[in-house]
Amino acid sequence: MWTFIIRRLLQSAIVIIGVTLITFTALQMSGDPTYLYVSERATDAEIQRTREALGFDRPLPEQYITFLGKLAQGDFGDSLSYKRPAIEAVMEALPATLELTLFAMFLAIVVAIPLGIVASLNRGTPVDGSIMTMGMLGQSIPSFWLGIMMIMFFGLQLRILPISGHVPFIMPLVQGNFVQAFSSLPQALYYLIMPGFAVAFYSISRNARLVRSSMLEVLGQDFVRTARAKGISETAVVIHHALRNAWLPVVTMIGLEFGFLIGGVVVVEMVFSWPGIGRLVFNAINQRDIPVVQAAVVTLALIFIALNLIVDLVYAKIDPRVKL
Amino acid sequence: MRVFNRYLLALAMALPAAAHAAPPENTVVVGLSADASTFDPAQISSRDNSNIAKHIFATLFQVNFEGQVEPYLVDKTTVSDDGLAYTFTIKQGLTCDDGEPLTAEDVAYSFNRPADKALGFTGNTPGFVYTTLGFKSAEAVDELNVTINLTAKTTLALGMMSQVFIHCKDSYEKMTLEEAASNPIGSGSYRLATWDRGSQIVLEKVKDPGNFETIIWRIIPEASTRTAELIAGNVDIITNVAPDQVAAVDASGTATVAKVDGTRRMQIGFNLGKGVEGMPGAAEIQDPKVRFAMQYAVDVPSICSQLLGTECTRMTSLVNPPNGNPDLVPIPYDPDMAEKLLDEAGYPRGENGVRFSIRLQGPRGRYLNDANVVQAIGQYLSDVGINTEVELLEWASVYSPLLRTKEMGPLFFLGQGGVTWNPLYDMSLFSTKDGATNYQSWTDQRWFDDWALAIDADTVEEARPVINRMLKLFYEEGPWLQLYFQLDFYGVSNRLDWKPRRDEEIDLFTASLK
Repeated sequence: MWTFIIRRLLQSAIVIIGVTLITFTALQMSGDPTYLYVSERATDAEIQRTREALGFDRPLPEQYITFLGKLAQGDFGDSLSYKRPAIEAVMEALPATLELTLFAMFLAIVVAIPLGIVASLNRGTPVDGSIMTMGMLGQSIPSFWLGIMMIMFFGLQLRILPISGHVPFIMPLVQGNFVQAFSSLPQALYYLIMPGFAVAFYSISRNARLVRSSMLEVLGQDFVRTARAKGISETAVVIHHALRNAWLPVVTMIGLEFGFLIGGVVVVEMVFSWPGIGRLVFNAINQRDIPVVQAAVVTLALIFIALNLIVDLVYAKIDPRVKL
Repeated sequence: MRVFNRYLLALAMALPAAAHAAPPENTVVVGLSADASTFDPAQISSRDNSNIAKHIFATLFQVNFEGQVEPYLVDKTTVSDDGLAYTFTIKQGLTCDDGEPLTAEDVAYSFNRPADKALGFTGNTPGFVYTTLGFKSAEAVDELNVTINLTAKTTLALGMMSQVFIHCKDSYEKMTLEEAASNPIGSGSYRLATWDRGSQIVLEKVKDPGNFETIIWRIIPEASTRTAELIAGNVDIITNVAPDQVAAVDASGTATVAKVDGTRRMQIGFNLGKGVEGMPGAAEIQDPKVRFAMQYAVDVPSICSQLLGTECTRMTSLVNPPNGNPDLVPIPYDPDMAEKLLDEAGYPRGENGVRFSIRLQGPRGRYLNDANVVQAIGQYLSDVGINTEVELLEWASVYSPLLRTKEMGPLFFLGQGGVTWNPLYDMSLFSTKDGATNYQSWTDQRWFDDWALAIDADTVEEARPVINRMLKLFYEEGPWLQLYFQLDFYGVSNRLDWKPRRDEEIDLFTASLK
């Protein structure tokens, strides 16, 4: 187990270096960030002075090594547009994104699994057809379009859900303000419904199809027929025998789901004015705020790597045949 | 199950009420596309940021709705004979948010702090405001009198000083720069109550003027979401309504769109400098007759009505109304005249119908419907035989660096900000031949000789004959193909009495409920 964890951590370090190298190079290639610091009327001399003061005049390898050295100390530099440590801006936005992503993951699991089971148990019927049609739709509709349609219908026509905004839940929890966190939970969920569903819709559709096919495969195996032959109730067969065995691909999928969902929140955060890391990165890219982009990408990469590690360990726990 | 049903019913009853949480009567809510980045008065650089800050920090002067500079904290102004020293007597009984009396020493500190190079500020004040103002130093004469020293005489002085936010010395000397960025101690009518970054900024009223107890600035980057919030009645004012959403807002019954000609001057710049030497079209546009002829080829009113969704007036110069030369009339759309003048200039159509070729560059997404406007202009020019190759570029990473190095063009689409309080501010884009804002590298000596005369006059009125002469030259031979003043679209709730300003300032001091 420990050998596996150490090996994975070493692999992770290489991935992190790769991530920093790619983001650093890509952003440097997008233009000179010095112009962000100077006014429209700045003279050439002022621009040059600013460039030198910020170190943008140095060779790229030197800038990268300096960046890595600071990164090792948790210093991503100051945000060019917010004029404060970039990591602070990322850490402030991260809880909102985690709320949205975790809620979307929750939806992607609790909605998709029952739908997949129902579809598999009603194979070839209109119920199965309806669920699979919804699955096709879900995988075809872009999340931003769905978000706008939901705003139009639930926000403007029915006026039962808020169009935009955010009530924090995780941040008060992290700050130890449990009373505030739990008293704001209903409002937080209320604001989460539309953006959460917009983010999760693709995953719900994909996961429902996955669960359906996985269940169909298991339901056709001998041990399920044997269980049924023994007279065990259909509910018990589905839950204790079939679902337990159909669970493995779903667990793998959930691990990857987080990375997928966090990538999908960028557009949805823009549509719903969600003050999360996706919107932060979107704005930072537009403003060429290099430190914020780097801090956000590295932070997300770290989270993704940690989650994958956890999923691998859980996977091994569920299925003893898997060797670490 | 019954419990669950009861919960659902309660939720269904509660949700609409919450979703319809319209602002209370003592609150005004503004939907902005971007968050503030700092509230340090010396670090603020964006218009949205400044619009919020102007409710927190008072200024010596302010520019009113009509575009006139008027006193705010100042009671009396005295100018030295050489025009290099302005002594202001501030009003009595002024205070900052923390209760500290606001004195002449605080005003001097507010001017000197942004100029302190050791603090490394990069906001508008230490940047273009002080550069244009020619700020040298500030000193308190006594409790109520402060003197601002300049390096050169200028009629722009009071207007530029109206951009400097006043704050109290004792409070700011106690704070680190990081603390100052998020804990403003203001001198204005409102104080910062909360700032949920990326979400909303709440201001609370502490003194007059101001008709609302609370101002909420909600950050809603997506244009269609801002529009939806306005229509739903959750916000009172939104900025940057997309032209294609104007009809939806006007038909909503809850809000309307207010349109205003802004002070940003949209133009096709002629790049006359070395950055385009050798490129097709670069030599042809050196001839002022060609530049003037091309003005007739573009139908500006149609571009406004078809692509921007509103009527607009074609500019006659780089100066915002009403400060321009009143004798100049907008150049009409007359392609026959364009062809005639191009023939006379020595560029007849060839066998293929082409007079000459040229490249027109423009940004995508920087200005209102910019890509479509640039493509339309390219077509208009092609119609009169100027084979125009349109190239649309990403603003931040490509277009902006090209502008800085003056390598765009030979034709390029650009909007440059101006004001309503002094024509010389607008004309200062061409204060020197190699100035940073002279993107066109226009070097007509007649203009620069007159500029020296105009800037040396004691008042704008005294300089008016020279200004009019300069604007006529700019009209006939200048480096801009003149288009329109950038149109600004604001969504305004029906419950609110508020008019947008031309200078993109959001002034809520005069806003009130109907």
